[in-house]
Formats: sequence, structure tokens, C-alpha cells
Amino acid sequence: MKKIIKLKVNGIEYELAVEPNRTLVDFIRKDLGLTGTKKGCSIGDCGACTVLMDGTPVFSCLVLAMEADGCGIRTIEGVADGNKLHPVQEAFVSEGAIQCGFCTPGMVMTSIALLKDNPHPSESEIRRAISGNLCRCTGYQKIVEAVKKAEEELRVKS
Amino acid sequence: MSLPKFDLLQPKTLQEACDVLKDNRNGSIRILAGGTDILVDIRRKIIPEHLPRCKGCEPGSLTAQTAPPPPKLLVALSRIPELKGIRIVDDEIRIGAMTVIAELCQSEIVKTHLTALYEGAVSLGSPLVRNRGAIGGNICNARPAADTLIPAVALNATLKLQSAQGARDIPVSEFVTGPGKTKIQSDEILTEIIFKIPNNRSASAFYKLANRKALEISIVNIAVILTLDNEGAVTEGRIAMGAVGPTPIIALEAMKSLIGKKPSDDLLSKAARIAASEAKPISDHRGAMIYRREMVEVLVHRMLNETVNRIDLIKGC
Ligand SMILES: Cc1cc2nc3c(=O)[nH]c(=O)nc-3n(C[C@H](O)[C@H](O)[C@H](O)COP(=O)(O)OP(=O)(O)OC[C@H]3O[C@@H](n4cnc5c(N)ncnc54)[C@H](O)[C@@H]3O)c2cc1C
Ligand code: FES
Ligand code: FES
Repeated sequence: MKKIIKLKVNGIEYELAVEPNRTLVDFIRKDLGLTGTKKGCSIGDCGACTVLMDGTPVFSCLVLAMEADGCGIRTIEGVADGNKLHPVQEAFVSEGAIQCGFCTPGMVMTSIALLKDNPHPSESEIRRAISGNLCRCTGYQKIVEAVKKAEEELRVKS
Repeated sequence: MSLPKFDLLQPKTLQEACDVLKDNRNGSIRILAGGTDILVDIRRKIIPEHLPRCKGCEPGSLTAQTAPPPPKLLVALSRIPELKGIRIVDDEIRIGAMTVIAELCQSEIVKTHLTALYEGAVSLGSPLVRNRGAIGGNICNARPAADTLIPAVALNATLKLQSAQGARDIPVSEFVTGPGKTKIQSDEILTEIIFKIPNNRSASAFYKLANRKALEISIVNIAVILTLDNEGAVTEGRIAMGAVGPTPIIALEAMKSLIGKKPSDDLLSKAARIAASEAKPISDHRGAMIYRREMVEVLVHRMLNETVNRIDLIKGC
């Protein structure tokens, strides 16, 4: 039976009726039209669907939309400040950490959460943090470099 | 690939959840914890047999199971606060069934007293899995390779099961009866996983053998706890072995061979050989039977050594 859920996505309050079997990723992509979040496998393996749920990175394909009722969700669309990219996004562009780009929204969300939790991660901490986000193009090296670059940027800023 | 249709209830108290499950005679109501197993399992499989095959596999052993009929109703436990958290009560550590794996990884209590469980949690899945998956889900899902189940068996955990009728305790070592099968009744909820705090001359260790560092199911996993007396002789302990039988296996004979003796390398390697003979591995795409048995010997030896070293370290300080 459909039920109304109320949640904040990128700071905007939404109130929508959803089916119990609606996953959070389909809610975000189909009901809200926010297609920045990608869906690769639907079974928790690839991390393309990563969003922040009350600040924690989760795979939105294995979260039911109803389970996110009352939560704050942040997707890739809520990361830039107007036209100004987030330092993590900037670094992904400048370091060449994007090829096909399918993994990028998830990678960026995971990286933002990592740098918030641990502002100065070591290389192995970065690799461990992104170990649930698969990238079939870059070989990860450039992604790790981008996270390091973003870390430096954020350090200078603060 | 969408999820089948089901209804969802999100009770706010344990009592409410038990009341819903009261009528669950035919099992059409299922519990939803983090969903990282169940939301994958109830999905319609597009290709029923999608697992690779290898030479020497037992016929039929590799066929992907066809999904059971989807549940009519899922009861989510995520909104029941009493099922979350790690507490010390007297001489026990009590872990709520809905405590996520990531919390075990961050807990000093778990790291210090239940080191094998900590090491199992750290090696489970990926950060995204650990942020959602709960220890109760890992145990109730009862896969023979489950990375918190095997440590829980070695650490001799007790499970608290609650239903509208009342509560009962069951040792985790008796809980699992087959791959994915347990002694839980369809109206029961696992509420707590309870560990006696090991005494300060004990240590535990866990090792997961897998092809990659993340997102891997164990080929073999081993958890060991040992307790030594003042003279350095083994007084008690347990060796639990995962992915080498339909359920977690306790190497009883190997442990017996250690009791009352000082752990020399020779003694430990003999015990490891006995443990390998107690394992009942099969061949599948993750590893051949013979390889698994070899690895049991190597890893049990390594983990016995590791626990002894850890006890020495505790004594040293
Ligand atoms: C990509 C990926 C990688 C993974 N890697 C690993 C790994 O490396 N090691 C590993 O061990 N596992 C792994 N898993 C499996 C899974 O993540 C874990 O088993 C997890 O701990 C399950 O917990 P959950 O809360 O998600 O359980 P759920 O999926 O919600 O539930 C699992 C089962 O237990 C039942 N259940 C849950 N809680 C209770 C309760 N309190 N009382 C009664 N019944 C209950 C449910 O009805 C269901 O049948 C992986 C999963 C994915 C998707
Ligand atoms: S789509 Fe969610 S993890 Fe792959
Ligand atoms: S850039 Fe293509 S998957 Fe990562």
C-alpha cells in the first residue's frame, strides 16, 4: 500500500506517496527526476547509486524509500554551490579522474563523506573508503589523486 | 530488475514488531534489517543460473537458488531504538541485533574484548555494506562464510530471541542448521547477541581468505580464541571455521589437543592439522575442496600463533 513519506533531498522538503517496494534510487531518479545518481547493478555491488543519508554514504538501491522517511538525503545535484563546483568535483575534473563518468557521482559522494569524517586521509584510507565504488575506466589511480588534491584544497580553504 | 511487490511495516517498538509476527505461521512475513541480503535475495533473477562453473564441482552445487516466493509483508526493525547499540552489562557485552557492522568497526569495546569480531566486521563487504548491514542480519542470514557469524561462534555468543510468547536464549553454535537455515521460529526476532567478556589472559583473532580486499565472500575464514593460565598453558578456547561446511564448524578435536599444554609451535601446527581434518569443504567457484582444506591448516596455525602472541602482548604491559 502506498504511503506518504516526508524527507529532505538537497535541502528541499518533499512529501510524496510511494509504494513499499520503491527503492531510494528509483525514488530519487524517477519520482524526483534527479538522474545524477546512477544505477549500475541494483544489488549493492557497484556503488554508482551512492547518496548521503543523514551524512552517511549508502547504496540507495538497497534502501527502501520508506526507510528514508524523515531523513536528510544529499545527492550529486546538491553538491555544487550554484555554478561553482565542489572542491571534490573540481579535483575530479582537473586530475582526469573521470572517463565515462558513470561511477563519478557515487565516487564524489563517497569522497565528500570521507573528507568530512577524516579531513586528512592516507592513501590507503582513501582506497579503503572507495572500495565499495567500482570504476571500470580509470584504474582508480586518478581518483585517488583527485581525492588527495581535494584534501589539499580543502585544507588551504580552512 | 525491480523488487517484487510487498507491504512494509515500520514498528517503533519491539512489542509492536512481535505482535505483527504473531500470525506469521506460513512465513509470508519476513524481517527487514539493513536489507543488504534480503533485498538482493527476493529480487526476480533474470538469469536463474548465472554462477560460473568449474571442473570438479559437485553436480548441482553451483546452480543459483531460485528465489523463494516473495514475502507478503516486510517488518522493518530500523525504527526500534532498543535493538541498536553496544553495551557492557556486568560481565557481558550486549550487542543489539540492529547494530550496523560499521559501528562494530568503530567500537573500542569490540576491538579490545572481541577482537575476532572486530576483525570480521572490518573485512565484511565494503563501507557501503557495513553502513547498512546489521550484525543480526549477518547472523540470521546464516551463510557458512558470514564474517561476523564465524567470530561469534568462536567467542561463544548467546543469541536472545524474542516473540510475543516470551524470550529465549540459544548459543550461536547451535543456531545455524544449514546454509541460510537456523532454529529461529517464524514469529521470533533476534534482539541481542551476548558475549561473556573474555578474561584478561585471553585473546582472539580472525582471518578472511579472499581474492580481493573488499567486496568478497570468504574462501575460508577462521576465528580463534584462546585462554592461558598463569603458567602459560591453554585452559580453554575455540576454533571456528567458515566456508568449509554447510554451517560454521567448531574444531573440537583440535582444541582438545591443546588443553592443558603450553602452546609450542609444534603443538599448534599439529592442532591445525587436526582442524583441517575436521573441516568439510566442498569445491565451488571460489575454491577447490583440497585447496580449502590446505588453507584451513595454514590459517588455523597462523591464528593460533596470533592469539598466543596477543596474549603475550597483554601480559607484557
Ligand atoms: C555487495 C555485498 C557484499 C557483501 N559482502 C559480505 C561479506 O564480505 N561478508 C559477509 O558476511 N556478508 C556480506 N554480505 C552480506 C550482508 O551484507 C551481510 O550478511 C549483512 O550483515 C546482512 O545484514 P542486513 O542487516 O542487511 O540483513 P537483512 O538483509 O535485512 O536480513 C538478512 C536475513 O536475516 C533476517 N533478519 C535480519 N535481522 C533479523 C532479526 N533481528 N531477527 C530475525 N531475523 C532477522 C532477515 O529476515 C533476512 O532473512 C554482502 C552483501 C552485499 C550486498
Ligand atoms: S546500483 Fe546500487 S550498488 Fe550498484
Ligand atoms: S569513469 Fe567510467 S566507471 Fe569510472
